[in-house]
Order: sequence, then C-alpha cells, then structure tokens
Amino acid sequence: MRTFCFRKSSRLLVILSAAAAIMQIGILTFVPDAALAHGERNQEPFLRMRTAHFYDVNWSTNEIPVNGEIVVTGKFRLFPIWPVNLPLPEAAFLGNGTPGPVLARTESYINGVPAIQSTKLELNRDYEFKTVLKGRVPGHHHVHPMINVMGAGPLLGPGNWLTVTGNESDFKLPIKTLSGETIDNLETWGLGRVFFWHGLWVAIAIVWLVWWLRRPLLLPRFRALTEKGGDRSQLVTSTDRLFGAGLLVATILIVFFGFQATDIAYPRTVPLQGSRATVEPLPEVPEQVKVVVNKSNYDVPGRSLRMNVTLTNNGSTSAQLGEFLTSNQRFINHEVSQAMAAVDPNYPKELLPPNGLKVSDSRPLKPGETKTVDIEAADAAWETERLSSLINDPDNTLGGLLFFYDEHGKRTISNVSGPMVPVFTDPDNRTAENPKGGPG
Amino acid sequence: MQGGTSVRLYGLEWPKESARISRVLDLLVAAILFLAVSGAFHLHYMLTAGDWDMWIDWKDRQWWVTLSPIMAITFPAALQYVFWTKFRLPIAATFAVVCLLFGQWINRYFGFHLWSYFPMSEVIPALLIPGALVLDVALLLTGNFLFTAMSGAFAFALLFYPTNWFWLAPYRLPVEVMGQLVSVGDYISYAFTRTALPEYIRLIERGTLRTFGGHSAIIASFFSAFVSILMYLAWWHIGMLLARVVTTPNTLKNFMGLTDKDEPAEAAQKAIDGTSLQGRFVAAE
Repeated sequence: MRTFCFRKSSRLLVILSAAAAIMQIGILTFVPDAALAHGERNQEPFLRMRTAHFYDVNWSTNEIPVNGEIVVTGKFRLFPIWPVNLPLPEAAFLGNGTPGPVLARTESYINGVPAIQSTKLELNRDYEFKTVLKGRVPGHHHVHPMINVMGAGPLLGPGNWLTVTGNESDFKLPIKTLSGETIDNLETWGLGRVFFWHGLWVAIAIVWLVWWLRRPLLLPRFRALTEKGGDRSQLVTSTDRLFGAGLLVATILIVFFGFQATDIAYPRTVPLQGSRATVEPLPEVPEQVKVVVNKSNYDVPGRSLRMNVTLTNNGSTSAQLGEFLTSNQRFINHEVSQAMAAVDPNYPKELLPPNGLKVSDSRPLKPGETKTVDIEAADAAWETERLSSLINDPDNTLGGLLFFYDEHGKRTISNVSGPMVPVFTDPDNRTAENPKGGPG
Repeated sequence: MQGGTSVRLYGLEWPKESARISRVLDLLVAAILFLAVSGAFHLHYMLTAGDWDMWIDWKDRQWWVTLSPIMAITFPAALQYVFWTKFRLPIAATFAVVCLLFGQWINRYFGFHLWSYFPMSEVIPALLIPGALVLDVALLLTGNFLFTAMSGAFAFALLFYPTNWFWLAPYRLPVEVMGQLVSVGDYISYAFTRTALPEYIRLIERGTLRTFGGHSAIIASFFSAFVSILMYLAWWHIGMLLARVVTTPNTLKNFMGLTDKDEPAEAAQKAIDGTSLQGRFVAAE
C-alpha cells in the first residue's frame, strides 16, 4: 500500500513537473515582450524620478536587417535633487539597455565627445547623446539609452521596440588596426590562435594525466603507502621522474619560445585603455518658470498624482505648461497645441499615458506673473510602471521635469520636486476639474 | 602482476576480482572528482578573480596578472596534499586546472556565447596549464611541499603572463575608434555591450607599477609569484585539514556497558580505576 502511494505520488509529481516545464516553454515562446524587456520597471521609483531624465529621445528606425544601423539620439538632465543614498556621478558611462549584445555599438557620443571611456557629469545640467548600433541578433528587442553611474547603477531612458531581421551568421564587424592588420570580424578575431594554444596545452595535460592514470590508481596506491609490504618505489619510478623532468623542460621551452614568437608576430601592441573622458555640459539655460510645490499627493485608489504648485514666470515671453515628464512617462497637456505637436508620432505609446496632464488653469502665464495651479497626472501607468511604490521608499520625494511653451512654440524646462503624501482613501471625491472635492 | 587468481600491485597481493573492482572504482572516482572539482574550483575562481578571467578588456598587465595565479593556486595546492600524501600522485595541479578550464569553457560557450549572445572573442578564459604542470613536476622531483612552494608555486605565477600572451597578443593590437586609441580588446567589449558592467567598473592598471621598465606585467608577475608561495603553503595545510577524518568519541556507549573492541584492556582498566561512569558502577559493585 505504501509502495503504491509512493508510486502514485511520484507519477503525480512527474506530471506536474512536465506541465510546469511546458508552461514555462509556452510563456517564453508566446510572450516574448515580457521575456525580452529587461526589468526597467523593477528600478525603485526614486531612482527613476530623481536621477537622469531623458527627453527628446529618437530612434532612427523600428526595423533593421543584421548589419543595419539604428541611431538613438536625445538629451538627458541629471536631476539636481539627487537621492542622498546615491553617490554623485563622478564616473558615468553612456550605455545602451538591450537584452545583452544583440546589437553592436559602433559609436557613442556625449555632447559630441566620444563616449568609449567613462566621464564625470554634473547635476542640473543637460547633455546630448548619440549612439550608433548595428543589428546583430535577429529578434524583437527593446532598446533604451542608458547612463551607468558608478555606485548608482544603470539609469535607463525610455525604451522602444526594434526588430532585427536576417541571419545572425551574416553579422560582421570589421576594423583595420593601426599596425596594418585587417580584422574581418571582431566576433571571431584571434579565435584560431586561442583554440590552438588552449588545445595544445590541454593535450599536453592529458598526456601527463594519462601517464599516471593508466596504472592502478587509488586503493592499490593507498594500500602500498600505508601497509607493510607495499613497494613505494613502484609508486613513483625513475622513469616517472625522467618523464616529469622532460615535461618540465619542454613546458619551459614552449612557453619561452612561444612568447618570443608571439612578440615577433605582434611587435606593436598597446595596453588596455582606462582613461576618463572630459565632457562639458550643454550651455546652461536659466529656468524661465520657477516652480514651487505647495502640496503633492498620490491618490492610491485613483492612480493619480496631484500637485498644487505656484508658478512664477521670470522670462520675457509667456509660458504655458505643456508636459510633465517623470520616469520616462510623458504626461502631455492636451490643451496645449505646442506640447501636442512636440510629440513624435512614432514615440512609444506605452510611454504616453492617454489621460495626459490635467491643469486647473492652462492659460499662458504672462511674463512676471505668479499663479497657483493644480496639476493632475492620472493614469494606470503609475501602477503598471510600479511608480506607486514610491510610497514604500524611505526617500519619499517625487521629481520630474515640467515643459513650458511660449506662443511661438519655444520650450523651456523647469525642475519640479517635493515630498509626496499618499492618499489611501478619497472621501472628498477630488479631481482636477473639481479640486475642492464634494459632489462636483 | 602475476598469473593465477591473484595479482601483485605495488608489492601487495590482490585477488584478481578485487583488483578489477578497484580499477572500476578508480574510473568512477575520477569521473565524479572531475565534475566536483570543475564545479567547486570554477565557483571559487569566478568569485575571486571572475571578471579578470571572464572579459577580454579586463585582462590587464597588473591586476589580472597579480590576482589570477594567487587565486588559482588554491585548489591545486589543497589537492596536491591529498593526491601526494595519500596516493603519491603528482597530478593534482594539472588535474585541478584542467577541471577549471573545462568548467570555464562550458560556462563561456553555453552560458555566455549561446545563451547571452557574447562573442567568444570577448569571454576567453586564461590558460593555467603550463604553470600547473611545473607545479606537479616540482612536487614529483622534490617530494617536499616546502621546496614545491618555493620553486613550483613561484613558477606557477611567473609563467602565467607569458603563457597567456600567446593568444592574448592579437587582442592588444592598437585601433583607432572615434579618434581615440584603444586596443582591439577594448573595442570588442565596447561593441558587444555588457549592460550592467560599464567601463568604469573595470579594475585595470592603477598606480605607478609601470615605472619599472615600462611594463607592469613583469613586476606584477614577481609579486604574484611571492604571494603564490604563501598561498600554496596555506592551501596545502587547508588540504591537510580537510583530508583529516574526524571522529567524536561515543561516550554514550559507556552507559550501555559497551567498550571498544580494539581496546578491551584499556576499557577494563578504566572501569577498574573508576575513571568512567560505568567504571564507577563497576567499582561500587
């Protein structure tokens, strides 16, 4: 009976395991988007709200063949209210967030300076970037610009889907060395030499091991060492010593002459390069509109961020609040035509919350005018992008950029930041249209 | 060996069947040990010198050359104690680094190349076999762990850089990328991006070691060789500790009136002397 139960439960276990395996394969096969995106939503909200804000990001294409090029350009601002628990960007590197090296990066620049090395960046300053990537592995890949900051980790910009078509085996990344060699493909460069030398030494090692393994090994040798009558001289013979000595000489000779031959074959080599690049930020543009956050709430059941802000226009032209950018989510004020016009029709839709930005008074702010308005960014994106978990962060401060437009469409950018208080229930039924609450 | 129902192995008589089973055991243990050492040594090496061994743009003339032999001589030294003192086999170092190389190639090819798309040119493991062969032969010829440490462990580290230069040199050719001078290795790792391992993470050539003749690999090799001697001695003794069979005396059996079969006289004497609880009962009677 016991045996029967065991067999029954074993069979059940096998069936369940097989079902789980089939489900896993199914998920990986039929839900590629979920599998190929790379965890940008898992980054804590304070990282995404108060470190690098990417804007004007453009992907030159949505589809390339293997060896085809995509150029990703844009700008980023390092937020001035940098999280205290992160080190300052003393060393930063312009990366690209892709699922591994499915694309090959051939060029990258920050403000026109080659970004092959890391560099120091300044807070509250803007930088322009450009990355040229070459299709390598066919598939549907999510491509982000990214800034890696030492101690803070990867700070991802917005991502867009790219389809790479063709055959991986057609990929080539050629380059000519300064000493005259032509490299057809960096993927396979030097591998013949690697395989030869690794193979040679493994073969020599196997000869040495087999020399000893061919004789009775463990128990006979152990007994011979520990029991009376064991002949230790047979364990290591003079032939063994002679063979070992010969191997020693051969090893040293191969290493010595191999090294000499390699030096002759490659007389001009350079060490790894580990310098730091110097990048000046873009010229500083004074903030036209000063933004003071009087109060900000995150309405948990309503999935809505509400801010009461006082805006002061210190410029000589009018300013109209057109966009709130935080964590790569662009909340556009649909009442401002310049803001709507600034959205590239090819921009990833998942980064443009459909409800946009509601402003209690969208009329242009005249030069010198100060006005207090309520802003509401309500969208399921707060949940789907896992930004609402800001309420669980020890540093519960929101951050983002506000984009203002004058009557000619000229844009200025202001930082917005302040403590955020969660609202778990909303008995007053407040909305952007009815900020005072009540029946409305 | 001789005919009949028994054979003579290393001076001792063995029944033929026992000798045959012993040989099967040899092969089984060798296969199991190969996989076990591959896994354990690979894990140890990846945790201590992993990035240097992994990436083509981490294999510098200072840290890679210094750290790799120091961290790689550990398992060979510990295994040499067991293999030599228990079986008189001078193959432990070679066996260990072949296991390591096997684990590395499996990991690089299936894990990094096929699964994660890195080209093989970016993830080539270092070669340690020549140093290991010298370490084994040093033990064979001297038969002494101290002399092996001073000669073999020293050579193990000194041979590291020239051994690897065979295949590494093509990756140190100079190229111009975006108006910058970099090596081919630098460019390979720049082109085939590691999303979460940016350039600044690399620990390569710091300090002023290169003032010694302009080539930091030489002084790094000698420093590594010196530390490798100490590491060898330490890990030889770790091997000694781990190879010890430790038992705890079973005092409970005294309550049951049992004694060690091998030592009846001693147990009886203890009982008479009253040095154990059981003895005291015996004495009271």
